[in-house]
Amino acid sequence: MSVARPLPHDAAALHVAGQARYVDDIPTPTGTLHLAFGLSDVAHARITAMDLTAVRQAAGVVAVLTCDDLPGANDVSPSVHDEPLLAQGEVFYLGQPLFLVVATSHLAARKAARLGRISYDERPAILSIDQAIAADSRFEEGPRIYSKGEPERALKAADHRIEGQIEIGGQEHFYLEGQAALALPQENDDMIVNCSTQHPTEIQHKVAEALNLPMNAVRVETRRMGGGFGGKESQGNALAVATAVAARLTGHACKMRYDRDDDMMITGKRHDFRIAYRAGFDDEGRIEGIEFTQWARCGWAQDLSLPVADRAMLHADNAYHLKDVRIVSHRLKTHTQSATAFRGFGGPQGMLGMERVIDHIAHELGRDPLNVRRVNYYRAAAADAGASGGSISAKKNDRAPQLTPYHMPVEDFILHEMTEALAERADYGARRHAVAEWNAHNRVLKKGIALTPVKFGISFTLTHLNQAGALVHVYQDGSVHMNHGGTEMGQGLFQKVAQVAAARFAVDPALVKITATDTAKVPNTSATAASSGSDLNGMAVKAACDTIRDRMAAFLAQEHQVEAADVVFADGEVRVGGAVYTFQEAAKRAYEGRVSLSATGFYKTPKVAWDRIRGVGRPFFYFAYGVAVSEVVLDRMTGENRILRCDILHDAGASLNQAIDIGQIEGGYVQGAGWLTTEELVWDDKGRLRTHAPSTYKIPAASDRPGIFNVALWDGENREETIYRSKAVGEPPFMHGISAFLALSDAVAACGAGYPDLQAPATAQSVLQAIRRVEGDG
Amino acid sequence: MTYFLPQKLDDALELIQDGSAKLVAGGTDFYPAMQKGQAMGRIVDLSRLGDMQGVTKDGDGWRIGGATTWTELIAAPLPPAFDGLKQAACTIGSVQIQNAATLAGNLCNASPAADGVPALLTLDASVELASVRGRRILPLGEFITGVRQTRIAADEILSAILVPALPDHAVGRFEKLGSRRYLVISITMVAAVIGVGPDGLINFARLAVGACSAVAKRQPALEAALIGQRPQTVEVTPDDLTGLSPITDMRGDAEFRLIAAARQSTRAIQNRERS
Amino acid sequence: MTKINMTVNGRAVSAEAEDRTLLVEFLRSGLNLTGTHVGCDTSQCGACLVHVNGEAVKSCTMLAAEAEGAEVTTIEGMANADGSLSTIQAAFQEHHGLQCGFCTPGMVMSAAALLKDNPKPSEAEVRDYLEGNICRCTGYHNIVKAIMAASGQLDAIAAE
Repeated sequence: MSVARPLPHDAAALHVAGQARYVDDIPTPTGTLHLAFGLSDVAHARITAMDLTAVRQAAGVVAVLTCDDLPGANDVSPSVHDEPLLAQGEVFYLGQPLFLVVATSHLAARKAARLGRISYDERPAILSIDQAIAADSRFEEGPRIYSKGEPERALKAADHRIEGQIEIGGQEHFYLEGQAALALPQENDDMIVNCSTQHPTEIQHKVAEALNLPMNAVRVETRRMGGGFGGKESQGNALAVATAVAARLTGHACKMRYDRDDDMMITGKRHDFRIAYRAGFDDEGRIEGIEFTQWARCGWAQDLSLPVADRAMLHADNAYHLKDVRIVSHRLKTHTQSATAFRGFGGPQGMLGMERVIDHIAHELGRDPLNVRRVNYYRAAAADAGASGGSISAKKNDRAPQLTPYHMPVEDFILHEMTEALAERADYGARRHAVAEWNAHNRVLKKGIALTPVKFGISFTLTHLNQAGALVHVYQDGSVHMNHGGTEMGQGLFQKVAQVAAARFAVDPALVKITATDTAKVPNTSATAASSGSDLNGMAVKAACDTIRDRMAAFLAQEHQVEAADVVFADGEVRVGGAVYTFQEAAKRAYEGRVSLSATGFYKTPKVAWDRIRGVGRPFFYFAYGVAVSEVVLDRMTGENRILRCDILHDAGASLNQAIDIGQIEGGYVQGAGWLTTEELVWDDKGRLRTHAPSTYKIPAASDRPGIFNVALWDGENREETIYRSKAVGEPPFMHGISAFLALSDAVAACGAGYPDLQAPATAQSVLQAIRRVEGDG
Repeated sequence: MTYFLPQKLDDALELIQDGSAKLVAGGTDFYPAMQKGQAMGRIVDLSRLGDMQGVTKDGDGWRIGGATTWTELIAAPLPPAFDGLKQAACTIGSVQIQNAATLAGNLCNASPAADGVPALLTLDASVELASVRGRRILPLGEFITGVRQTRIAADEILSAILVPALPDHAVGRFEKLGSRRYLVISITMVAAVIGVGPDGLINFARLAVGACSAVAKRQPALEAALIGQRPQTVEVTPDDLTGLSPITDMRGDAEFRLIAAARQSTRAIQNRERS
Repeated sequence: MTKINMTVNGRAVSAEAEDRTLLVEFLRSGLNLTGTHVGCDTSQCGACLVHVNGEAVKSCTMLAAEAEGAEVTTIEGMANADGSLSTIQAAFQEHHGLQCGFCTPGMVMSAAALLKDNPKPSEAEVRDYLEGNICRCTGYHNIVKAIMAASGQLDAIAAE
């Protein structure tokens, strides 16, 4: 039974019937209390007094907690203990939780939370990238710098040079299910927490710290999230800890869910970036030397900002061989929400910086950007690359893998073929002509087209996170119970991994019970993040299944006096000697033969090792690739624009489930295009987020998606030994949205002679400003 | 909070005669906001007032009941001059919001970005205000006085919108610029009613701009200048628009709004055929 | 507190609720019908969509008291009488019209309201109609495909 089948999402039948439970849908014990945070009204201040009398007196309020009431650690940081659950004397952003209201209903808690009277001694707030640069407000002692070759010399020697800068806005996750947690107090001070989180182990860890308990006294369960996108990697900590603390203090179950505006005001978002560049190149656009300076606005606490900024540096090359390169990264500390993980984790920002340079070079030389891309691509993977030995001839040397700016050989580069295939499939050449033709005859409506590649590194850059565990039971009736450390947020991980388990036992996937992620079943898990879910957990489940299968095979082989290797699991049967058992019969025999039918599995990613300070080594097991072509039209008088068509060819290796993978690609593209077009976060000069509701913050709607939208999978296996040679697919497609942004740049360029210098997001207003620039320059 | 759902206008007027009640008609803005706020006291919901619903011919003109939903308005058989109003209705929230939200609610809310106002201004609409004291009629332009401010008294209900007769050849048009196609609160919007004579020249012109001032504004100077022009050749510039004071906020800055409004005006005039 | 009576999914129900109780709260907390979701709290996202007297309504924009005496249908009432998935539900499952599933009940309710009035909508009409339902996962492609399939028009979209 082949593993790869386009089966529906594991819970699809429950979702369409309204039966799938999210945290807020779990039936709660009588007397369950509800929580809400009182929030800071200012961005930076010392708290001089907190008068919570009115809060305590409000209807339905059971308790009001401040930092002085907490039984254990006042910290919800996933990294360096710099993020108090409740402000301790000082506030660092507008929206920071100051006190916690415990009440008999969600509404009562929320209403009471607004009644706090807080006196502040306000301090100057550092809000923008410029202010942070001026104040040298940063994380780490200074910038991180990765380099290779001699960029300054190469820049000086180049025939052509450009320099420029792009501002890249952040992005709100807008998971449809807001953050939520439910804590259920147990005997002996133990705590069970149900939480909408990508990282149950981290929740367990932070709750244990907050309650002064060892981790074994806290159990965290997550059946599913209503969307995560990175926003539930660390941002659920505050709710989980708050509910656990309140449950400990009151003895009642406690639940907390953020209303949408609280969610947007409190939680972190994608980092906004400024990227400046200087590039030197030849007549064909081949880059000789290049330097990037990246400034990331990290917000008030460190959270995951260092690895995010690292990943931006690691994707500053995108798909291009940069011989002489220097990348400088500043991680700026500001009095705003603490920016956090978001699909791509810094990769999209780094990659957009590079694609912007290509676009700029092409404009400078008057060339088709696609040709500039091609001449800069990494060398193709040699057919025998990685094969054993052989003499090193000069010819062989020409085909040796080229090095990334962090000195990792790119051994699996397939974008030459993929670009060729997509350009043909999407008719890129003819359409580029048609666009030029259109623009020559239309004064107001201008079209643009762009083909952009994605090369995305797969693995956690914090190397020790690249591990996973699984627990599998086979019951005596042949049914299979599967558990692993990965969490389900809609990406189809559970279904894909269940298909792996079913394939190992050669049974129908319907026989495999998928169960909630549970820290009591599989300990010490990593976040479901970095696209690694199926790579890691698929392998761990495979190992567990194989252990059980091998035990069954050994037992049956002994019974039938054959070699274990001759026992065959196929088509729901187990064949041994001349006998054929159903899997159920085989399981029952094994049980009666006193064979353990339960096993754990463990996996750690091979080959990864690097030095993140020096920027040298192999942070990634492999790369996932893709190419996209977008065509857009804009109104040069207003800047309004639409995506007309998008074609994508994406590399998911030997896909475990093509339907699920294509769904990830479609959704990723639309989300990526949203980031760079309509989704604009605006803070006012007091540090208040003004776009804190869907009425002002615009994620794509059904009609924003391109009129024509063709998505296909590249037919090829992962050259590395991943689970059934598949590739990770969660994050890479997000960056196909860059093609929409650069198609807009192309359309703006048709309005005049200058370079558009388009800034992101390309809202109608931002597009109009770019049009003015090219008209002015023309 | 106490909630009343009267079925007749007279009953509703009695309920509110002491001026202490909060009126709701559709509640699509009110109920979501209510969840965060203080106790609301007495709520009188006007959405079930049968005698305040529907669109009827009223002499030469038209009478639109205050509790008429946008969905009902879209479905009503009305002359082409109302096309702009219908287009505006189609862009309000989403279908489910149009099912619940009413014209009276949109007008009494008096948001500078209220989608219905510019189109109703181009129809020269008036509002009828009812109370136990009687009824009075105010031109729409006088009814809305500022951001979230109107001339309605605490004991009054906006019972109907009155639209006088319009020439048969006049066609309405609505243009809205938002940062996304749907579910947007407008950055700017323009409504126009344009009539073109047999000679191909404009002989009837009304145009209003919304979301560029506290209250949407008719453009009398531009309207006068349009008479005798060929619609396809009209190009409106920001200088042609008067009385506007757009603000800079998270949805767009002031200069951008003026440019966009001029462009939308051009579109509304040029593209006047019934869609 | 007032006693509120209505018919939900064909069953007469009656429960005490404060006047300010929203319909969505009444359904979720009062009747334990948790398939109707709260996504944005502000009438934008459509996850709370239900049918009231046959019309699609966002249950976060309506008081429970306003639905007094009304016929309300929620996602839990959409399956066929024998408990099998309805055509629309089955199409969402088969055509992968969901990922995280949080918007799905609202999408199914919206699709049902559309197909009742317009059994053979064009793809553009489907997209227009879905303007009040936000999905953050799928990019909408498979949702539209599922609705086209449910209306027996899969060919129309497959031809793209």
